[in-house]
Amino acid sequence: MTDLLLQCLVADRHAAIPASDVQSVIEIEEITPIPGTPDFILGLTALRSQALTVIDCSLALGLEKSVAEDDQRAAVVEVEGHLYALLVDAAYDVGEALSQPVAVPGGFGAGWQRAARGMVETESGPTLLIDTSSLIAGPMEEAA
Amino acid sequence: MDDLLADFVAETREMLEASGGEIVAWEADPSDRARLDTIFRFVHTVKGNCGFFDFPRLEKLSHAAEDALSECRAGRREADSALVSAVLAIIDRISEMTDAIEAGEEFPEGGDDELIAALQGSDDIVVASAVMPEAQPANDQSDADADRGDDSDSESSAPKPARAQAVQRSIRLPVDLLDEVMKGVSDMVLARNDLSRRLREAGEQPTIDGPFDRLSTILADVRAAITRMRMQRLEHLFSSLPRLVRDLSNELGKQVMVDFEGGEVELDREMIEMVRDPLTHIIRNAIDHGIEGPGERLKNGKREIGLLRFAARQAGNQISLVVSDDGRGIDTGRLADKAVAAGLYSQSEVDRMSDRRKHLLIFEPGLSTANEVSSVSGRGVGMDVVRANIERVGGSIDVVSKPGEGASFHLKLPLTLSIIAALTVGAGGQRYAIPRSYVEEIVFSSSSNVEFATAGDRRLVTFRDKRVPCLALGDILGIDEIDDAEWDSKTLVLIRLASDDVFALAVDRVFDHEDVVVKPIAPAVMETRLYAGTTLLDDGRPMMLLDLPSIATNRLHMGEGRTTEVVEEEVIETGRKAVPIMLFAGLDDRKRAVRLDMVRRIDTVSREAIDIEGQRAQAVIDGSVFTLLGLEFGELPENRCRLLRLTDGESEVVYAVNEVLDAADMDGEIIPSQDDPLIEGVTLIGDSLVPVLDGHALFARQRVQRRTQEVLSCRIPDDSDWARTILEPLVEAAGYRIAADDGEDADVEIQLAETVRPERSASARSVIRLTQDPHTAGADGDTIYRYDRDGLLAALKQARLGRTA
Repeated sequence: MTDLLLQCLVADRHAAIPASDVQSVIEIEEITPIPGTPDFILGLTALRSQALTVIDCSLALGLEKSVAEDDQRAAVVEVEGHLYALLVDAAYDVGEALSQPVAVPGGFGAGWQRAARGMVETESGPTLLIDTSSLIAGPMEEAA
Repeated sequence: MDDLLADFVAETREMLEASGGEIVAWEADPSDRARLDTIFRFVHTVKGNCGFFDFPRLEKLSHAAEDALSECRAGRREADSALVSAVLAIIDRISEMTDAIEAGEEFPEGGDDELIAALQGSDDIVVASAVMPEAQPANDQSDADADRGDDSDSESSAPKPARAQAVQRSIRLPVDLLDEVMKGVSDMVLARNDLSRRLREAGEQPTIDGPFDRLSTILADVRAAITRMRMQRLEHLFSSLPRLVRDLSNELGKQVMVDFEGGEVELDREMIEMVRDPLTHIIRNAIDHGIEGPGERLKNGKREIGLLRFAARQAGNQISLVVSDDGRGIDTGRLADKAVAAGLYSQSEVDRMSDRRKHLLIFEPGLSTANEVSSVSGRGVGMDVVRANIERVGGSIDVVSKPGEGASFHLKLPLTLSIIAALTVGAGGQRYAIPRSYVEEIVFSSSSNVEFATAGDRRLVTFRDKRVPCLALGDILGIDEIDDAEWDSKTLVLIRLASDDVFALAVDRVFDHEDVVVKPIAPAVMETRLYAGTTLLDDGRPMMLLDLPSIATNRLHMGEGRTTEVVEEEVIETGRKAVPIMLFAGLDDRKRAVRLDMVRRIDTVSREAIDIEGQRAQAVIDGSVFTLLGLEFGELPENRCRLLRLTDGESEVVYAVNEVLDAADMDGEIIPSQDDPLIEGVTLIGDSLVPVLDGHALFARQRVQRRTQEVLSCRIPDDSDWARTILEPLVEAAGYRIAADDGEDADVEIQLAETVRPERSASARSVIRLTQDPHTAGADGDTIYRYDRDGLLAALKQARLGRTA
């Protein structure tokens, strides 16, 4: 099992995004808000000539928005031809998954349960593996 | 004639292009009969056309080529390479001449005979090579002529390269590759913009600025070229339609005009090819089923000639194409019957359907409303195929039809990659782009010819006699609420949708026109139904492109994507039979109403333009004088006065108001009022009673002169200063025209008792005699004292009555 994971901090929890999904990690300088969109869509940011839709991971999970830090890092992922920047509290190293994602009895909590593929063991301990396409659908999905 | 000529040039060139390949193939194998036929047809057509246009030289050339080729076709002559060369030389010459015709230049004399001679001599192999150089200098000559103005055409061979007439070479490229190149160029443009900003910040640096400017120019060119690689103007598609329409309408014995709008909209080449067939089918359908025969049209009070209208707009990643006809509309009854007959729906299902749902039956497979299967449509290949084809390319199709008024098909086509002309506007401190094709006009709210009004919660704006709903962008996006006071600071962008609905969009400010590259947006953002795409500003910041049709549909229930509910809602509204009225505050600030149909427009004039003296009150608007009413309620404001211009269809009066309040529908009854003759009655608008002006009384009271009334003539003594300076204005004010001198018979003649009346040849029907002496007046019955104004006017009136009685 040599899946690589981008380890990051989302809503004060350790989380991981499959590195194969991630094109790059960028620092977001400026976000152009898009009025009328759900909260978790922060707006657009430009990466070269591409416009990325910026998603706040915490809000997308239905959790409280984390305190904004100066260092706004985001993982760039492509889902169905569209580019998204997943804003995380902090992005760490790329590490190896030491296990298959597994479910935990009792679940991970309301928000996490929907967007997580399961728990994986990493060198830095157990981490939730985020499913990017469920994440970007946002917390609204159940309502719809 | 010019159009025909342009058609001729275009047709010839098209055939040249098409036969280009044939010619090469024929050259390779002169005995190829099929190629020979193609080329024969070409020269034959050219010959025919030339005769019509009087191009003797072209005709002679093509005739000679035709002769030679028909010899070959008849088997009397072998097509050898010499003949091929000679024919090719003639075709080249035809092409050059066509170019000259198009450019409006004179093609230099000479050279034709050699070319024709070359056709004859089969033993002269060298002819081709001898002819070609002959043709070239001639070509050069025409270039040179163009440069020099109209110089003589005698000398030859200017040392210039021939016009690039080489066969266009093409290669096939995967679209992906093009996309990638396009993306690369876009990135380059952004990098350039970034660099440019940094250079500006760093101050002037001549050593860098020069090359940088050059880079910018090159980049702009490359970008334009890349864009062209994929795009084609819709005109290319449109240009083939008039012919199709003409042929079809001839076949069906109908007369149809075509009208195009939005030919400049660019569409992916592929997409153009994809919609060609569906569009053809819609046209067939419209001409065959929609547009009536000339007789039936006349009977229904329509113009004999039907109209087929094509309107294209670009909105973000979509092209909307509306094809509408002014025919009889979709026959829902028959469509429903067919659907039942074909077993698609049960009768009860059909009965429950709304009209709109029935219209959509047209897209069901296996339906055709024509009773007889004509050669044009109704061959079983129906609109279902059209819909399938449109949907296959990711588009959608919808239909709107009104019985007796026509049907329109709304096509939406995706645009994988597009550059659109946009207007950038600001709201809530952010910029947004609006496709410029929708923008009809930009007006400032503060300008005096813009009036705001509210009907319920809907804000309306009246501009240039049009009342349209008004939306605030900030409000639509939910970023700021606008209080009433703020409206004046807004800029209004009048938006006309492809469906011809108009609304006003209030924005904080309008920035600029820009060409923007539109990129698709994430589905979650798309769901807001506010945006059609995103684009990057020059500084690399993203900007959203507004989806106006969708906004209009959601906010105003107008536009292309009408939903079923909305259509049904409309039906209910029309069933209620409301009379539109305009509410205003009179000079006493009391609310009154006037029927909207009577209001021609709202004018704002300065106080100086109004003249009041005693009972007479008039206002001057745009150089015309109008009777002013409504003054009995109060004083006119000091500087600017607002006037309603009312019309009874023939004459006009103006009515002074303090403020125009609103438009409303008067759906209740009018309770008649006896006390005030100028009031038709009172009606309930909302919760308040509002007096409604009595139009009849207004106009009746004013005895307003009808403009169309026959003007009676009056002859006045032409040798009296008094008559000219004092009498004449009075007579004219009474509605008479001053008759010309002797020659004309006048209705009334005014004579001065003291002067001897000169003998005239012409007569007058009645005579009024004026005297200077008040005492003699009235003594002999028909003489009036010259300053007895009432008496004179009464006499003039009497004459008028006698005349019109």
